[in-house]
Amino acid sequence: MNAATGLALASIPERIQQEVQRAILRSIKGVEYFTTSGPSLGVTPKDLLSARGTMNLYHYRPLADEVYRVPILIVMATTNRGYILDMVPGQSFIEFLLRQGYDVYMLDWTAPRPEEKSLRMEDYVLDFIPYCIRRVQEDSGESDVSVIGYCFGGVLSLLYGSIFHDGPMKNLICFTTPIDFRKMELFSNFSDRRYFDVDGLVDAVGNVPPEMILSSFEMLRPASRAISQVQLWDNIWNDEYVKSYRMFDRWATDTLPLAGEYFRTITKDLMWDNKLFGGTMSVGGHACDLASIRVPILHAVAEHDHIVPYDAAKHLIPMVGSADKEEVILKGGHVSLVAGANAVRRLWPKLDSWLAGRST
Amino acid sequence: MADKGNDPFAVWQTMLGEMEKGFNAFANKAMTSPEFSKTMNQAGGATAGAQKQFFEMMEKYLVGMNMPSRAQMVDMAARLQSIEAQLAEIKALLVQGRASPGAQATGPATPRPPRTKRPPESSGAQK
Repeated sequence: MNAATGLALASIPERIQQEVQRAILRSIKGVEYFTTSGPSLGVTPKDLLSARGTMNLYHYRPLADEVYRVPILIVMATTNRGYILDMVPGQSFIEFLLRQGYDVYMLDWTAPRPEEKSLRMEDYVLDFIPYCIRRVQEDSGESDVSVIGYCFGGVLSLLYGSIFHDGPMKNLICFTTPIDFRKMELFSNFSDRRYFDVDGLVDAVGNVPPEMILSSFEMLRPASRAISQVQLWDNIWNDEYVKSYRMFDRWATDTLPLAGEYFRTITKDLMWDNKLFGGTMSVGGHACDLASIRVPILHAVAEHDHIVPYDAAKHLIPMVGSADKEEVILKGGHVSLVAGANAVRRLWPKLDSWLAGRST
Repeated sequence: MADKGNDPFAVWQTMLGEMEKGFNAFANKAMTSPEFSKTMNQAGGATAGAQKQFFEMMEKYLVGMNMPSRAQMVDMAARLQSIEAQLAEIKALLVQGRASPGAQATGPATPRPPRTKRPPESSGAQK
């Protein structure tokens, strides 16, 4: 041991050799990186049951010999693509559910077309979700449906559940779902009503462009993109790291535009007036009181979520009227909660153990 | 092997992580101020306004040149996607018809497993 540096002298040649090897691999893999595409994502076999403009309803082909009676409808967030829940075999939440014996459907979104700028919150909550629930009922032959909502998909599911509280939703699972929008402090400040002219923006651009949505997400951690690229170069010799980087980077930058009128309502009713938390939210004249939701509900939140901080999400369980309700706080961030190696170990088994007994 | 604390490469990784955290925290603090919101939205508003004007100007220019605009191309792509989706549905119906000629058109395309699965003993009881 060198007393001055504390470095084990015997290890220095080994370490230098390792770094030289990595430097060579970096050059080779660096070229490979730019000449190849990333892994194919969202490849679990599925059938398109219905497509209506921005709305797509998929049914995943079962992978088990027998399935639970109650099918699951996953409601994806409107800002992002559903393949975050179906990355690659072995790291796919959908595949996990199918192998555990669930019958899985997904309400996923594509970019709204220019003429869909007039889609309102009513279209999402009173039309798209009920329509998909009906299609799932028809296709599965079951009257009960469990709903899983991710992020803003959770908000839409809650609004739906609070209006259609007499069924057919049997169970509700929300992942990282915001309730108190004032506690999303940076988003709240970005959309400060004194300075953010949402009417001017929507009137000017129609649908809110994906670049704007993406930059508002990236501004929450402004250094992270640059640092992640440095880390990618450091680790480019490591195929697993590169594969994971490409999957998540592709998904994170594959942001969807938002329908203009829908964005206007989100900004005014949720960001400005915080109506969901205040109990004054309504959609199409229907009051959305979370206390009217009485189905079994599980809310999974992430300890280090920088998009939906715990303070914004923690009110869901106390506010719903369900007797059977549970909040689970897991290590990880907004995305790693639901996808990636940590989710495989933490969230997925927890969800399975909660849902299995409630799906018969 | 050098332990992690003395390995210059591990130190570099740790330093990067700390730099990221520090810069993010510093920037986040600055971004909570009303002044930041004001400046950001002024710039964003001006950009949106300029974009709108530019877009309208380009539309007129492309009409004059007898060329399709971006919106028309996007619309055309969307219509192609819609046709592709309908073709996929027709294909699924054809496959289903071939698999079971007597089956109704609304039935499932492939045989479905029975909905008889029960939770394992260790799982929570049905509520």
